[in-house]
Amino acid sequence: MPRQLIFVLIALSVAVPLVIKIGLPNEVTSEVMRVYEEIDRLDSGSVVLVSFDHEASSLPEVKPMALAILRHCFSKDLKVIGLALLAEGTSIGDQVLRETADEYERLYGKDYVFLGFRPQYQAAMLGMGEDIRRVFPEDYSGTPLIRLPMMRKVENYEDVALIVSVADGDMPVWWVDYAVSRYHKRLAVAATAVMATSFYPFLSSGQMIGLLGGLKGAAEYEILIDKPGMGQRGMDAQSVCHLVIVLLVIAGNVGYFMRK
Amino acid sequence: MSKKHEMARRIPIIVCFVFGLFMLVQFFVPHRLSGAAYETVLDWMQIVFVFTLLVGAISYAKLNVKKVSRTESGWGYNAIGLVGLAVMVILGLWKGTGEETPFLWMFNNVQAPMQSTMFALLAFFVASAAYRGFRARSWEAGLLLVVAIVVMLGRVPLGSFISHWIPDAANWILRTPSMAAKRGIYIGIGLGTISTSLRIILGIERTYLGGK
Repeated sequence: MPRQLIFVLIALSVAVPLVIKIGLPNEVTSEVMRVYEEIDRLDSGSVVLVSFDHEASSLPEVKPMALAILRHCFSKDLKVIGLALLAEGTSIGDQVLRETADEYERLYGKDYVFLGFRPQYQAAMLGMGEDIRRVFPEDYSGTPLIRLPMMRKVENYEDVALIVSVADGDMPVWWVDYAVSRYHKRLAVAATAVMATSFYPFLSSGQMIGLLGGLKGAAEYEILIDKPGMGQRGMDAQSVCHLVIVLLVIAGNVGYFMRK
Repeated sequence: MSKKHEMARRIPIIVCFVFGLFMLVQFFVPHRLSGAAYETVLDWMQIVFVFTLLVGAISYAKLNVKKVSRTESGWGYNAIGLVGLAVMVILGLWKGTGEETPFLWMFNNVQAPMQSTMFALLAFFVASAAYRGFRARSWEAGLLLVVAIVVMLGRVPLGSFISHWIPDAANWILRTPSMAAKRGIYIGIGLGTISTSLRIILGIERTYLGGK
């Protein structure tokens, strides 16, 4: 089969289901349910730290997960601290946070803040365990944290109920090493599907309380919060695309054995 | 070896030993002074890292300027890279990086779509490579192929649409054999990290200084 035909098949398998909705039913897995339950049982006013540990390349996969989790947080009246430990996550985190906060009419400084980016993530993670204001003296727009009402009550991880790492690499493992092991914080992870399998040992050990794996994780979370979004829409496309790849593999093997 | 070169090798080893030992010991010392010194070290780590970013940017610029000035093969791409770097730095310094700035516009409308496009191209190459290379040439390769198909179908709604056995099997693969293998790898990485760290702190491992 010519390569060009394979490319056309893949393009169609992604594009057509995005236009024509199939609506395949999606089941919620226990890993996603655990993240939902953890956030759902937090008291109103609890602080959730959301770290945007990803680059722009994985935006279509990580943004639906971030949106779903933030919508749940704001609907529960939780306070959200956003930050980025990879430079490209900074602008994305700022926009995603503002977008969801506006949806729920949350106020900057009172209900949520965005701290921006700090280089050297190990030092930043460890430093926040001692004093967040020392690592981030100012927020992303340059306002001293002491002037933000929400941050007056937040000194370090002691005042944070849950950490959520939205990641496309192995940053959640560093969160386990530094925030979970050293400061005994609870960590939920929203990671790209390709990385998700790496984190199962940490789920099993309880070092991660739950995991959203890629677009499927986002779709499952959207079901739980009853807010359909890009996750659910993308799952039809992903289903058809996976099916096409499986059929290509089978066709390739049939050809191989026939030639043999 | 001259005295100057000898010192240039010894100083990093001494710095590494002192700070490595300090970070190890302070973990077990809950005293206020230890905590204060620890926070200062963390501040310094970030400061040093910022300089490494600067070194990276300068090195990138130098390498690309060299290729453009010599009009080496593909120099046009290097020129575009340099222009991109310069434009983003200028826009960032000019109006900042916040809401409704030209920097953010460029990030949202040029950089993010380009990077997402590059990432999305993987789907085409993965499909093509899977068709050409994924063959059941041995029973191990056949097993890998079956597992891959089960996980691929089990991780999308189509799997449960066909049969609930597919997502159940996919989840079992991820939560049992795959996790066991990952756990083994992580334990190996952990032990390797400890031994390498000790070798660096004690000055046995010196390759990070350059040379042999």
